[in-house]
Amino acid sequence: MFALQILTNGLVLGCLYACIAAGFSLVWGVLNVINLMHGTFIVLGSYLAWAAYNGLGLAPWVALLVAAPLFFGFGWLLQRGVLNRVIAAPVLVTLTLTFGLDLMLNNAMLLAFKADYRKLILEPPLGTLELGPVLVPIDRVLAMVLALALTGALWLILRRSRVGRAIVAVRLDRDAATLMGVDVKSIYASAFAFGAAMAGCAGVLLAMIFPISPLASGAYLGKAFVVCVLGGLGSVPGAVLGGLVLGIVESFGAMAFGPEHAVTLSFGLLILFLVFRPQGLIGRRGFE
Amino acid sequence: MTGTRPSTPRPTPSPSRRALTAAAALSPLLSLPVARAQGQGTIRFGAPLPVTGALAPEAVKQQQGYDLWAETVNKTGGISVGGRKMKVEIVYADYQSNTPRAVQATERLITQDKVDFMFAPFGSGAAKAASTVSERYQVPTIAATASSAQVYDQGYKYLFGTFTPNETLTEPLSDIVRAKAPGVQRVAILARNDLFPLAIAQEMEKSAKARGLNVVFFEKYAINTMDHSAALAQMKAVSPHWIFATGYINDLVLIKKQMADQKIEAPVVTMVAGPAYKEFVDAAGKGAENISSASWWHPAARYKGTDLFGTTENYVKLFRERFKEDPDYGHASASVSGALFQMAIEKAGTLDKQKVRDTLAAMNVQTFWGPVKFGPTGQISSLEPPVFQIQGGKTVVVHPASIKQGEFKLGVK
Repeated sequence: MFALQILTNGLVLGCLYACIAAGFSLVWGVLNVINLMHGTFIVLGSYLAWAAYNGLGLAPWVALLVAAPLFFGFGWLLQRGVLNRVIAAPVLVTLTLTFGLDLMLNNAMLLAFKADYRKLILEPPLGTLELGPVLVPIDRVLAMVLALALTGALWLILRRSRVGRAIVAVRLDRDAATLMGVDVKSIYASAFAFGAAMAGCAGVLLAMIFPISPLASGAYLGKAFVVCVLGGLGSVPGAVLGGLVLGIVESFGAMAFGPEHAVTLSFGLLILFLVFRPQGLIGRRGFE
Repeated sequence: MTGTRPSTPRPTPSPSRRALTAAAALSPLLSLPVARAQGQGTIRFGAPLPVTGALAPEAVKQQQGYDLWAETVNKTGGISVGGRKMKVEIVYADYQSNTPRAVQATERLITQDKVDFMFAPFGSGAAKAASTVSERYQVPTIAATASSAQVYDQGYKYLFGTFTPNETLTEPLSDIVRAKAPGVQRVAILARNDLFPLAIAQEMEKSAKARGLNVVFFEKYAINTMDHSAALAQMKAVSPHWIFATGYINDLVLIKKQMADQKIEAPVVTMVAGPAYKEFVDAAGKGAENISSASWWHPAARYKGTDLFGTTENYVKLFRERFKEDPDYGHASASVSGALFQMAIEKAGTLDKQKVRDTLAAMNVQTFWGPVKFGPTGQISSLEPPVFQIQGGKTVVVHPASIKQGEFKLGVK
């Protein structure tokens, strides 16, 4: 019974982690760009949700409709205008660039919002679902369902749409894709834009759950790293699986070893995977 | 041109490994000591603060507190030193939330910026580390945010602190709970694994045990924990009467939210150090109702002092006018540290470090912060920290009797 509650907690948490990591994984896997701004995008999404709810009375699930195109556009411009200039350079260069951009964005947020913690408080609260002895907070379930839907949509886009296939093609072989008439720069921009949109939407959903502050971006980024390494890079199902594994391991780990070791455990797992299975659980060299 | 498809994909570097190496190689290095104005007839105070990094919100509070004091003094012409008015200047140095850098910053402020007096860096750990330097140069130092007794038991003569030891927060709390809720037997403690939050949790455990209460749950959680559901599920299983959670605003807001998610209720829920801050009350919303806490000072206190701010009301008013928000104990402690230096310098009538130090050691004054008298170790011994509770979205002081605004209430949902 108790274990069932812990398992449920872990599953729900895992879906949130998947949501945090999906866009990060896409950008890393397809562009080979480690976007250190990812955590900051998430926090920006949370601020958007907070402002939309407190200013306009828009619920987070409605704010998603605003966040997705907004972050998509922002990501597209950022990739097209800045990152594409160094995309062919070694991974360290793009890493440094996103690191610098992240510092700027993060400090801009500190100036704009201060380091104070805010919280989006839904009125009335969504409450808790009681499934027999197991309690599931509805806001988490909602965030989980929407996160899975978003992640599923991303997967469908990659598999079914023209731009999605092009993204996958570029990931598989950039030169061949170029020869087939794929506009690589524009595809890179689209992939980055999808990643940014996922991050922004994740932020909107997480605003219902976590306190909002510019300082939270590092923690989100850390989780995204672990999930990607666990699940496998560039793979959407991998992000979901990695997130779920991490959520469940942390929940049971906290029970077995005490909550102070939950973070140690997740980074311990990261090291183990890097050493013994760097491609992740279901990561492949090819994509999809 | 005929393109031949390569049979295998082009090798790409393993991104994960490279990224980790690269990420480790990068570290944010953004240190800019605040530029200082040179001038005759100014008294210079050094203030190393964690302006960037994890402790940045705390640095902002302290800086506002110091600035308000310095601005208020300078408006009156300055500090009177043996009949001559001298302006105050605070020299800030950012130590990036990194304790070793706080020590370096202290040394630099003393030897290069030639400050006359020092404010210690934030928190017990950094204050203790930096006090070694100020002691060596015999520069009187006031720590505005160091509560642990271990900071002051080094036999140092130049270090003073405005926070009473941690147990002065947990002891009155335990007395009140014992008196108001005799049925409270089982105590559950969830602590952030961090210097102050863990230290106060351990004091709570001692205070509870000393009163015959049963500590049925004591767990620590790591810094940056994003989920407390597992710990809370375990806590719920032992059905505690009194839940005592420590951490900072974000931790405690999340813990309270997840307690509500899991329908954990208790007669008494105490949180340190969130509820002292307005942000906590705003962020926790209705869930904050009846949560109790304790801190070294509260704007609802009503002290009458002989310092430049005079009464607590006046201090709160000045602070609101300047920063458009209510001060909390972090702001006020920084301001009172300045005010205490001022009182000591004016009484000594000189900037002589030894004499100012002796005046501080012998000080026994009333301030807007409360009565101030330093014990033999330099830590304040005269203050009785208020216990308070969130009632109807507002903070209500329930102890000590002299500044009490309401009765302690039971039941947290």
